[in-house]
This record gives sequence, structure tokens and C-alpha cells, in this order.
Amino acid sequence: MTTNATPTARVSRVELTTLALSLIALAVSIYLTIEHYAAPNSLACPDTGAINCTKVTTSKWSEVGPVPLALLGAIYFAAMSALCVPAAWRITALDRVRIVGAAGGVATALYLVWVELYQVEAICLWCTVVHVASLALLVTVLWRVTGRESA
Amino acid sequence: MEAVSSSPTRPTRPTRSTHQRRPSQSAGKPKGAALKEREAARRALAASAQGRANQRRRLVTVLAPIGAVLAVLAVLVVVRVATSQDHAGKKTRSASAIVIAQVTGVPAATFDAAGAPAKRSPTITATGGGALTADGKTRVLYIGAEYCPFCATERWPLIVALSRFGTWHGLKYSYSAPSPEVFPDTPTFTFHGATYASRYVSFTGVETATNRQVDGSYEPLDKLGADDTAIMKQYDPQGSIPFTDLGGRWVINGATYDPTVIHGKTHAAIAATLAQATSASGKAIDSAANVLTAAICQGTGGQPAAVCTSPGVVAAGKTLP
Repeated sequence: MTTNATPTARVSRVELTTLALSLIALAVSIYLTIEHYAAPNSLACPDTGAINCTKVTTSKWSEVGPVPLALLGAIYFAAMSALCVPAAWRITALDRVRIVGAAGGVATALYLVWVELYQVEAICLWCTVVHVASLALLVTVLWRVTGRESA
Repeated sequence: MEAVSSSPTRPTRPTRSTHQRRPSQSAGKPKGAALKEREAARRALAASAQGRANQRRRLVTVLAPIGAVLAVLAVLVVVRVATSQDHAGKKTRSASAIVIAQVTGVPAATFDAAGAPAKRSPTITATGGGALTADGKTRVLYIGAEYCPFCATERWPLIVALSRFGTWHGLKYSYSAPSPEVFPDTPTFTFHGATYASRYVSFTGVETATNRQVDGSYEPLDKLGADDTAIMKQYDPQGSIPFTDLGGRWVINGATYDPTVIHGKTHAAIAATLAQATSASGKAIDSAANVLTAAICQGTGGQPAAVCTSPGVVAAGKTLP
């Protein structure tokens, strides 16, 4: 593994995919953060039965102390976006950080799915978008890093 | 290996035909060059095999976390579905017409046979206050919740007693909360959505919460009005449920009989015993209903007379504090 940047390297589609996934999750997290502070009951999501975003995002599990989880998610995905821009991908020393970061995101997503299923008893569609993006991000990051290692 | 050698993107393996052609094609080449060519081909083959192995390792590395995540998700969902009944509490559902008929139509002779409870319930107290009325009728106020096992217990005699003064509509089966709540899943009815009509009595039934927990607390259901909140605060400052105000003269804080006599039974089994004053649950519920009836009769001015002067009600009235 080398820390040298290779400015002439071509931008791969996988790298762009990691960036796109991070930005999608970042956008949803920002939306949920704004709704959390502005109008938590006006989420564009069904609010009856098992799918109920408001029930999830207004539950006591939606905050860590005074900080909404959506805001923490936005900060996390902003960091992942920065790690996944093509210029950052040229710094191979960050590969391990990317893998650990993406794996941490998936672990957190699993914990939040447990909270939704067992504590709140409702599923938030917006949160699910973020969870799926987290898993896809881990897959693409691993794909890119292993591709580089085997090259 | 033929497939590999035939791929245009992969290094070609020396084939039989190339060997056959070699004498004419490489006739001019020295022996060393031919050896180098073969060595290069062998290395290319080795590199190709190594590339495929690397590709397999990549796939395993990438797919393993997906498999692990999907496995964890599957376990979470399966366990959740398997345990949902226990965790959420049994849902309210339509009541059997036969059961409703049995609960609201206990024979007068059975009430008389049941008479007064074996011992006076400590949960009933005289208020010493004025009458509680609504629309010119004596008023019965019940405040409870669907999760509460003592509320589940007390609804039986309350429904039975009020049936002697009027008619019920929309009563549905309900259950108290599941374990670890005491007397889990006690079968009962819910006053939420039910209506009661009577010439003599005005009834208000407030179920403040369901039997389903969300975020560690039961889901709110009916809102308690300001006037009723004030009544509860006056006679039940701790806000314990069930709270029942019988026309302003008596209040009940809790259940008037032992929940164990109905716990573990079905709605149908309990209802069937209401016409049998000799059974434990029938005697307990019918005699408790006689006590409630006697208290309500104080507010209705002894009307209807056939009910208020019946031997069972008169006997039970003597146990009122």
C-alpha cells in the first residue's frame, strides 16, 4: 500500500458510485435533520401501520442526548463523501479509513433496524434509504479497495 | 483450458497447430527465441490463473459482508414476527354476539342467587360529596386503560351492572397487557368505541391507553377531559386506575373482586359462568355487579324499581360503606 497520490490516474466508475451513494445518504440525512427541527410530523412518508416515519423520527431513540441521529448521520455521510471524492481515492492510505467507516455505517444501520423493529415497532422509509445506501457503500468501497490491491 | 486459449483478451496458449507450423514459421529464429516465446506464454497462463483467483477473492471479500448483513436482518425480522404477539399485546377484535348476550343479559334470578360478595371490597369508598350527574341523569365515570389488568377485571361487573339500566353498543373484546404485567392477557372488553344508552344513567368510559407499548410506554388512546381530570384528582390524587365514580357518592380505586377468578379463561368461558351463581367467576362478577347496581340505584332514585328492589341488589347495598 502506498500513500503516493497518482494525479494522472483515471477516475473509476466504482469511485464515482461510492461518492454518489454517500451524497444520496447525506441528502436524506440533511432532509431528516431539517424535518426533525422544523416539522417532525410533516415527513413525506406514510404514517399508518408498520411504515411510519414520524413515529420513528420522533421517538426517544431518534436522539442521542440533545443531538438528533439524523444530524449525526449527516455529519457521518459528509465525512464519507469527502473520503470518496476521486482525489481522496488516490490516497491509498485512506483505504482502511474508508473500509472502517463504511463498515461502521452498516453496523449502525443494523442497530437502527433493530430499534425500528423491536423498540419503535415501525419502519421509516427515509431511514431505510440511508441503510441501503450504507450497505451499498460498504460493498463498493470493498470492491474498489480489493481491486486496487489485486492490481 | 481451451476456453482460455480461445479468448481474444487472454494470452494464447501454444496450440497443436502452432507447433506444427513452427518449423516453417520460426525456421529463421534461433532456438533461444523459441524457448523465450514458450516461457512467456507459460507466464501469461500463470498470470491469467492468478487473475481469476484474485477475482474470486474479491468477490468473496465483497459478498461476505452482504451475506452477513442479510443473515442478521433475516434473524431480526423472523424473531420479531415470531414474538410480535407477546410483545405487542393482543389486539382488540369483534365480540361474539352470544357472549355479549350473556354479559348483558344475566338472569335476575342469578343476580339474586349471587347476592352480596363474600366480603366487602376495600376499594370502594364513600365520597361524602354531592351527586355527579349529566343530562339530568346520574353519571358513572370510568377511567382506565386497555393494558391495565385490574381495569380488565372491573369492566366485567361494570358492563353487567349497567346493562340493568340501559343498552350497550360496540363492545369489543380486549385483553390486558402481556407478561411481565401482572395477570397478563386478562380477557375483557374495551370502552373505547363503545356506546351506552339509558334513561337512568349517563356513562363515560375513558381508556387512556392501549395495550401496545411504543418506546417503553403504552400508546395513548382516549383523552381525559378537564372536568373528569379534576374529579379523578379529587378522589384519586395518585391517578391510579381503574378509577370509577358511581354517581358522585361512591368511588372505586381498583377492582372490586379478585382477578384470579377470571385470569387464564376465555371471554366465552367467563361469560358462560355469569348465569351460574355457583361458579367462582359467576359469583364474583354477579355479586360485584350487585354492589355497583346498588350504588347506582342511589343516584337513579331507586329506578328501575324491579332492579333496585331486587333481593340481590338490596343485599349487596348493605355492604356499601
